[in-house]
Amino acid sequence: MANTIISFEAVDKRYGDTIALNDINFELEQGKFYTLLGPSGCGKTTILRILAGFTSATSGEIKFKGQKINNLPANKRKVNTVFQDYALFPHLNVFDNVAFGLSLRKVPKAEIRQRVLEALRLVQLTGYDDREIAELSGGQQQRVAIARAIVNEPEVLLLDEPLSALDAKLRTAMQVELRQLQRRLGITFLFVTHDQGEALAMSDEIFVMNNGKILQQGNPVDIYDEPINHFVADFIGESNIVKGKMVKDYLVSFVGKEFECADAGMRPDEPVEIVLRPEDLVLTDVTKGKLTVTVDTQVFRGNIYEIMSHDSANNQWLIHAVHKATIGQKVGISFGPEDVHVMRFGESEEEFDARLETYEGEEE
Amino acid sequence: MKKRFSWQNLYLIFVFALLYVPIFYLIFYSFNRGGTMTHFTGFTWQHYTELFSDSRMIEIVVDTLLIALLSSLLATIIGTLGALQIYSVKRPVVKNAILSLNNILMVSPDVIIGASFLIFFTFLGFKLGFGSVLLSHIAFSIPIVVLMVLPKLNEMNLSLIDAATDLGATNFQVFSRVILPYIAPGVFAGYFMAFTYSLDDFAVTFFVTGNGFETLSVEIYARARQGISLEINALSALMFVFSLLLVVGYYFLNQYNSSKRTRKRQRLEATQIK
Repeated sequence: MANTIISFEAVDKRYGDTIALNDINFELEQGKFYTLLGPSGCGKTTILRILAGFTSATSGEIKFKGQKINNLPANKRKVNTVFQDYALFPHLNVFDNVAFGLSLRKVPKAEIRQRVLEALRLVQLTGYDDREIAELSGGQQQRVAIARAIVNEPEVLLLDEPLSALDAKLRTAMQVELRQLQRRLGITFLFVTHDQGEALAMSDEIFVMNNGKILQQGNPVDIYDEPINHFVADFIGESNIVKGKMVKDYLVSFVGKEFECADAGMRPDEPVEIVLRPEDLVLTDVTKGKLTVTVDTQVFRGNIYEIMSHDSANNQWLIHAVHKATIGQKVGISFGPEDVHVMRFGESEEEFDARLETYEGEEE
Repeated sequence: MKKRFSWQNLYLIFVFALLYVPIFYLIFYSFNRGGTMTHFTGFTWQHYTELFSDSRMIEIVVDTLLIALLSSLLATIIGTLGALQIYSVKRPVVKNAILSLNNILMVSPDVIIGASFLIFFTFLGFKLGFGSVLLSHIAFSIPIVVLMVLPKLNEMNLSLIDAATDLGATNFQVFSRVILPYIAPGVFAGYFMAFTYSLDDFAVTFFVTGNGFETLSVEIYARARQGISLEINALSALMFVFSLLLVVGYYFLNQYNSSKRTRKRQRLEATQIK
């Protein structure tokens, strides 16, 4: 953790009686793309505003390169923000908007000009410098907002759902561009979103939040493959979640049958929840399948068929299949032991990591 | 359909005629050689030359303009700061209470305000004259400015302030470089309103002028009571032309600001076509 640039230590935020943030701890390293992911009202924007200095934490410490910055005013912090509604100054044109931060710092005119044009080039708005803000499309305004922030060469760039106002196609394009921009600049990005697809596509590291708490932190693959609880599993991607019981290590029982799995380190007969991702389920014959389900509906999504089905115990199963099925028909579904992910009730992230270490060490 | 259209036009013409005929009647007789407003006997500039040689009247006009300019300027500054203060009040109850206090001043009769100022100034032993008129004009102009500036502030996106702070602006820089340019149209509108209110105020001024200091409206009132002098007509005509020019000027200023953007755009497109 030599490159830690920002850390939150036991940060709480309360508005009267409502708790917006509850014991937030995390560290951000230099040059990485982080995402705060969670439903609206989970506190992710509050974290951003505390970091930018627009609001203060009720308790806990915010550190920038090891220095406590709780009381440092927003205009003295080496972070810049891209706002959800862009917050461009309507009375200034594109050039003056981008130059705003530099001109406040009395940077020489020639240098301002050079840096602004460079920033506009980075966001692919060369030649737009004398346009008025009202003349720009949403996507262009978005880029101006990014240019205005990065021209100040912040060490951390905060992005508050900057893509939420764009249409789907532009949003996907901007995701790629933002990621490339982050790599080129080599600065830390902290991106806030409620869109799990966006988070998975862009981030080095994701913090999944709900109700003012960070539930899980990890790279996109870990979070997707090993969600820590029902909420994370449900929020990230689509999933089939059923109740089950841990019979013993590497053996779990659900929907009345026992299956091999890759998890261990729990009490025998401990009640658990099982996650099966729809794309891990493979349609086969009834005889070959591990489970037998009846197909209810089928939707063609272009690359896959999205099949809703139910088993004899009335559990819903969502399957992403390459080949189509017949509605009303009984089919078998099969999956490997690695596809079965077991979640304990009320397990914290530390406990989860510790448990993983005990048995993953054994295997080697 | 066509018939109804002409009725509408007729109505408009009627209303405007009703509003403007008295003024034009006044202006028309300012050129009358005979000294009355009943028989037009011939054209003359006599009343205008009389007016310009009337040094007392010229002095009053200058004083009136000075009062209007100064009072509207000060009222704009105080009113804008007041609007900012009201804007920053968080609790809706307090905010509404302050706004209501502001609005009461707007709607209460000038006579009452004038009388209360008179009582106030005499109670304090303040000498009536230029100072008392200026102070009272500032006082009744402030609510107007507040009322013109506040909607602009409410319209402003709060994240603009966050954005400016985020980019390193101090509180003063946020005000001077973001908030002030944003509310400027409201401030200008407030200034113009305050200016016209001050210029044509009679009731309040009448109470607080005292001896030796007159504004135009008070002077005209006094002269009209003494008997008809066509010098007043000439003065009214000049005032009318003056305000007409102001309105036209304001219109073109607005037009210039709003079309600057479109013209720029057109120019840009024109160069692209070439």
